[in-house]
Amino acid sequence: MDVGFSMTNSGPGLEPPFEQAKKVIQKFIQRQVFAESKDELGLVLFGTDRTKNPLAEDGQYQNISIYRHLMIPDFELLEEIEHQLQPDNQHADWLDALVVCMDLLQKETMGKKYERLNIALLTDLSTPACADQLDIIIGNLKKAGITLQFFLPFPVDADAEADGAGDGASQRHPPPGGKGLSREQKQGLDMVRQILTSLDDEDGLEEVHSFSDAMEKLSIFKPIERRPMAWPCQLTIGSSISIRIVGYKAVCEEKVKKSWAVVEAESHHKDDVKRETVFCLNDDNETEVEKEKTIQGFRYGSDIVPFSKVDQDQMKYKSDGKCFAVLGFTKQETICRHHFMGSQVIKVFAPKDDEHAGVALSSLIRALDSLKMAAIVRYAYDRRSNPQVGAAFPCIKKRYECLLYVQLPYMEDLRQFTFPSLENNKKFAPSETQLSAADALISSMMLVREDEDGEKEDIFKVNSIPNPQFQRLFQCLHHRGVNPGTALPPIDPWLRRMLDRPQAVSACCQGPLQEMKRRFPLKEVLHKKEQKTSAHVFGNSDDPDAKKLKIDEQDKFSLGEISEGNVTSVGSVNPAKDFHTLIQQKTIPFDQACEQLTRRIEQLLGNRSTEYYMKTITCVQAFREQAIKTSNAELFNNYMQSLKKGVPDRNLQEFWDLLVQDALTLISKDEEEGSSVSKQEACQFLLFEEKMEEVATPPPEDGGDVDDLLDMM
Amino acid sequence: MADWNAYYQKEDDEVEQEEGEESAGDYKNSGRDSLVFLVDASKEMFIKGEDGEPSNFDMTIQCVRSVYTSKIISSDKDLVALVFYGTEQSKNPRNSFKHVYIYHDLDCPGARRVQDLDGLREEKGARLAAEIMGSGETSLGDALWCCSNLFSDMKLRLSHKRLMIFTCRDDPHGGDGARDRQARTKAADLKETGVVIDLMHLTKPGGFDVSLFFCDIVSPPEDESELGLQLEPCGKLEDLKKRVRAKEMKKRAQSRLTFSLGDGMNIAVGVYVLARTATKPPAVRLYSETNEPVRTKTRLFHTQHGSLLLPSDTKRAQVYGNKQIVMEKGEVDEIKKFSDPGLVLIGFKPMSCLKLHHHIRPALFIFPEEEQVTGNSCVFTALLQKCSERDVFALCKLTPRINTPPRFVALVPQREVLDSSQVQAAPPGFHAIFLPYADDIRTLDVHECPTANDEQVDKMKQIVHKLRFRYRSDAFENPVLQQHYRNLEALALDLLAPEAIEDFTMPKLNMMDDRLGSLAQEFKDLVYPANYNPDSKTAAKRKPAEAGGAVPKKPKVEISEDELRAHVAKGTLGKLTVPVLKDACKQFGVQTTGTKKQELIDALTAQLDK
Repeated sequence: MDVGFSMTNSGPGLEPPFEQAKKVIQKFIQRQVFAESKDELGLVLFGTDRTKNPLAEDGQYQNISIYRHLMIPDFELLEEIEHQLQPDNQHADWLDALVVCMDLLQKETMGKKYERLNIALLTDLSTPACADQLDIIIGNLKKAGITLQFFLPFPVDADAEADGAGDGASQRHPPPGGKGLSREQKQGLDMVRQILTSLDDEDGLEEVHSFSDAMEKLSIFKPIERRPMAWPCQLTIGSSISIRIVGYKAVCEEKVKKSWAVVEAESHHKDDVKRETVFCLNDDNETEVEKEKTIQGFRYGSDIVPFSKVDQDQMKYKSDGKCFAVLGFTKQETICRHHFMGSQVIKVFAPKDDEHAGVALSSLIRALDSLKMAAIVRYAYDRRSNPQVGAAFPCIKKRYECLLYVQLPYMEDLRQFTFPSLENNKKFAPSETQLSAADALISSMMLVREDEDGEKEDIFKVNSIPNPQFQRLFQCLHHRGVNPGTALPPIDPWLRRMLDRPQAVSACCQGPLQEMKRRFPLKEVLHKKEQKTSAHVFGNSDDPDAKKLKIDEQDKFSLGEISEGNVTSVGSVNPAKDFHTLIQQKTIPFDQACEQLTRRIEQLLGNRSTEYYMKTITCVQAFREQAIKTSNAELFNNYMQSLKKGVPDRNLQEFWDLLVQDALTLISKDEEEGSSVSKQEACQFLLFEEKMEEVATPPPEDGGDVDDLLDMM
Repeated sequence: MADWNAYYQKEDDEVEQEEGEESAGDYKNSGRDSLVFLVDASKEMFIKGEDGEPSNFDMTIQCVRSVYTSKIISSDKDLVALVFYGTEQSKNPRNSFKHVYIYHDLDCPGARRVQDLDGLREEKGARLAAEIMGSGETSLGDALWCCSNLFSDMKLRLSHKRLMIFTCRDDPHGGDGARDRQARTKAADLKETGVVIDLMHLTKPGGFDVSLFFCDIVSPPEDESELGLQLEPCGKLEDLKKRVRAKEMKKRAQSRLTFSLGDGMNIAVGVYVLARTATKPPAVRLYSETNEPVRTKTRLFHTQHGSLLLPSDTKRAQVYGNKQIVMEKGEVDEIKKFSDPGLVLIGFKPMSCLKLHHHIRPALFIFPEEEQVTGNSCVFTALLQKCSERDVFALCKLTPRINTPPRFVALVPQREVLDSSQVQAAPPGFHAIFLPYADDIRTLDVHECPTANDEQVDKMKQIVHKLRFRYRSDAFENPVLQQHYRNLEALALDLLAPEAIEDFTMPKLNMMDDRLGSLAQEFKDLVYPANYNPDSKTAAKRKPAEAGGAVPKKPKVEISEDELRAHVAKGTLGKLTVPVLKDACKQFGVQTTGTKKQELIDALTAQLDK
């Protein structure tokens, strides 16, 4: 990379070539690092103030320094580039630098196996180069089999344009530098052409890239490389025909290779965290049992059948090894596209070295293709794996022929749902004008267009879009790796753009969309049918206010929530707090949380001591608060009624006095609309006197038993 | 519109997640599905068909049994009951209803129940039924009342209630108006409480006239079309099973999403799973002393001071390029978020752009949700109709739930298909086919293979022709699952050996060979040379290597005795590589047992020191 003086020059408002080149290199290394590629990489800077290379003697090869020798790139290198790489004030002959690179490659690859040697030269060509040795250099490049790539701040044809089209054209297309190319640059460019065309007659110039171009291409992280694994097997038809085949996974959802390890928050050490799984009985105390005292079982409907692993292995379905056996042939149209199962497509070829198998397979492929049929096969990967039933479709391409295997469903996999008819239903049937509006929309939004030559162009090819998940993950990893302690960056705009509707289409479809909106009145149903689920009965989730509240709360409590850990039930240590957390996190339904809380309250009251009473009071308080918040006044009020009834029998007068002190009474209408209790009634409620029976709100259920009440919930 | 924008997840589509489990996070949908079979046990039901065809009763029982077993496999939390009416004997709580016999109370089906049903099948089953229940007077009203008690007595919360009536009598009360009236009232009550009543009418000589009585009993069809009642009665077991299966499961949207066409035009759609790989349910851990299930708790400990670690005490990390990169759990989730859940229309493409190999996971099904926004279905239908006519699919970006990266799907139009007896064979809607990203497509180095000539292809065509059959997606049972459940059944019922399964995935070799006859040999003669054996793969594999003149992998490094002695003297044998040492061993006739470097060195040293 050229870090010389001229690289910092740039037109106003433009990024200097140095910064661009640095980004190109960063992106390149980043790609290598995240692809975990084993490729080795060195970095030679030229135009440096210092000179550090083995060829530097007698004033030759000055201002060139080897920054990094050939090795597998790592984060250290990325960090160094980010923080240390600075433009210097010298300049150096880029051809000299090239020679240093060649020397580096040759010396450091000695004794190593390699597939390819490549030098990428990033420079603005502003330094005059000495062309004397050009032929020798080219000769050496050829001899060593080194390929060359040039990265320049301007496109390679920039000067041709400026020369040929005169001033008018060059003003319309100013080269990225903001000024025309200097004489040195033109000369340099000529030399670049000379080198590249002599290395490769035809495609030589394709190896010259502009920085901006390269940035765009390099922004995309390298797809994770996987070597296709061959799966040799025999395709059989009946008992006597067998054809040797090799299967390869051709399409398969690629997952991120690495998973996240759990590390201790302070030390960031994985070894500091130990995961332990314990078994416990389903009783109140959650009695733990040892692993040795547990056995394996399975559910068979309502029964649980103990079924040890040994027995299971002995009795389970046994398949007899790998298999690709034809069960029969069927018309392709009998196989529904939406019945494809599994997560992969396998391409089946004949082995490379077996031409007889090739001919046999070819005759099957061609026969199926001309009859529009497919083979239904039993496929088993190996002895341990479950057999599948799938379809093998013929696939004939210009360069090869193969079978495409896709898994098909078993009877158990299918769900036969019946849906209401749409087109035969007068209510939903669209009118002619509506249909034509839909038709116009489709026309305006076609992603495959024909140009004048009748050639079709697909402007939104999903299978050339990189998986955004990986791109985003690596972007964030890189950011965090280089700038630890800072917030994660937003999603790259180019990535967003790639996932959105193409500009060309969204411009075209405006009109038809407006027409659609006019033609199809959409009306929100006001009286939304309430689903009869606990969430609705207790009305805490679909109420927009409640939702807003929920979100607010989440924001507010998110920190507390994290430190809280995972609360899954109302414990006995701090029941009120657990209850709060449960409600906020919505881990369990409100009514269940209440049930758990009331159970704890009953437990606490059973102790009959002031200390426990205090705890109980906080529970009641919490219950009351949440009940108001979630408009569940009735639930709380009912409980209080039953609690009150129990006071004389259970000798809880002392507790009741505490309640009176804290004025923890029924929730009145004033506090919550859903309550049927007036303020006055609420005040009277706490008074314990003979008049109690006359308290206006009749308890809905006669028995004051908590359990009854819970059943009611 | 913000309201139905609210997304909630109904069912997790992760295969790992157990399906039937009422997940703790989502309680909106908790509650059990329940299904009551109300079966006519009158004499007419036991009349055998011509040519020894099973009686209606027998068919019904077989059908109920298949529902039981499929419930056990696919949704073991659902509740099922079996009630007979028109019996002589009565069996119901307090026996308040005459001629109603509750054979199975509303509960999860188990092994015992399946066995019970087996007892009612065929000839001896009919005898058993006559013995314990007999046939007597009919009062459908009482029967319905009894069933409604079954539903209302249930302690668990029921999310979906369905009642299926199996009968071959279109006029059960023989013109008794009072009883007809009572039955109608009771049916209305049931429907009021959210019970869906279906009629599975069976063949009757002279034809079953639904309009006579049952049209007032059953629930109106969902879409208010007249389709429901014009059904032919079921004559065949297969038909009956199909019809029952279509109804027995409550269809559930996996999620509800907004489908935005652009420019603020949004419609609400439900996402359904019509096909998902059924897997063996995970094993349950049981306490060996009581056989009661145990729960598992996973805790994190600090290795050094042994204290419990809360989730907040941990972070997530990955190592790349020798550097550990650490993030908060929340950040890890956030990275996966691109946009809010929803389905966004990108554009349309001709169907020819959807290639066979565009497959990474099973498809989903998209159907409009009219309940929240009216007019939805109309837009949807128009799009469906037009896409289908123009043979295009809609390309959409699907974000199925929060914190999930987007995937692109092809919405393939599916018009409604009815089978010969007017039962829906394919529902109308869009199939969402998942499309692969660039990363999902692997590059294979393909090699050119010789192609077959016309004669060979023609011979294969004959073979293909001989082995034609009509593929049906529900024709194959999963032998692994079936075997597993048979095993459980055998253990649960203390049977000596599990019932044998028929493995439909095995090729029927004898039949195939018979059909092919001499074709197989003729084909082989055409494509294979005389001495070729496709089954001996090892022999064939080695051949090209030998033919290529045995290219040695690496030039052998010979080492002279002097050099070796020098190394031994200096103690620098370790500098040599293992292959060199091995060769040296061979050269000096040293017997080595090990292949480890040190062992080789020791052996050599011992030999040369002599």
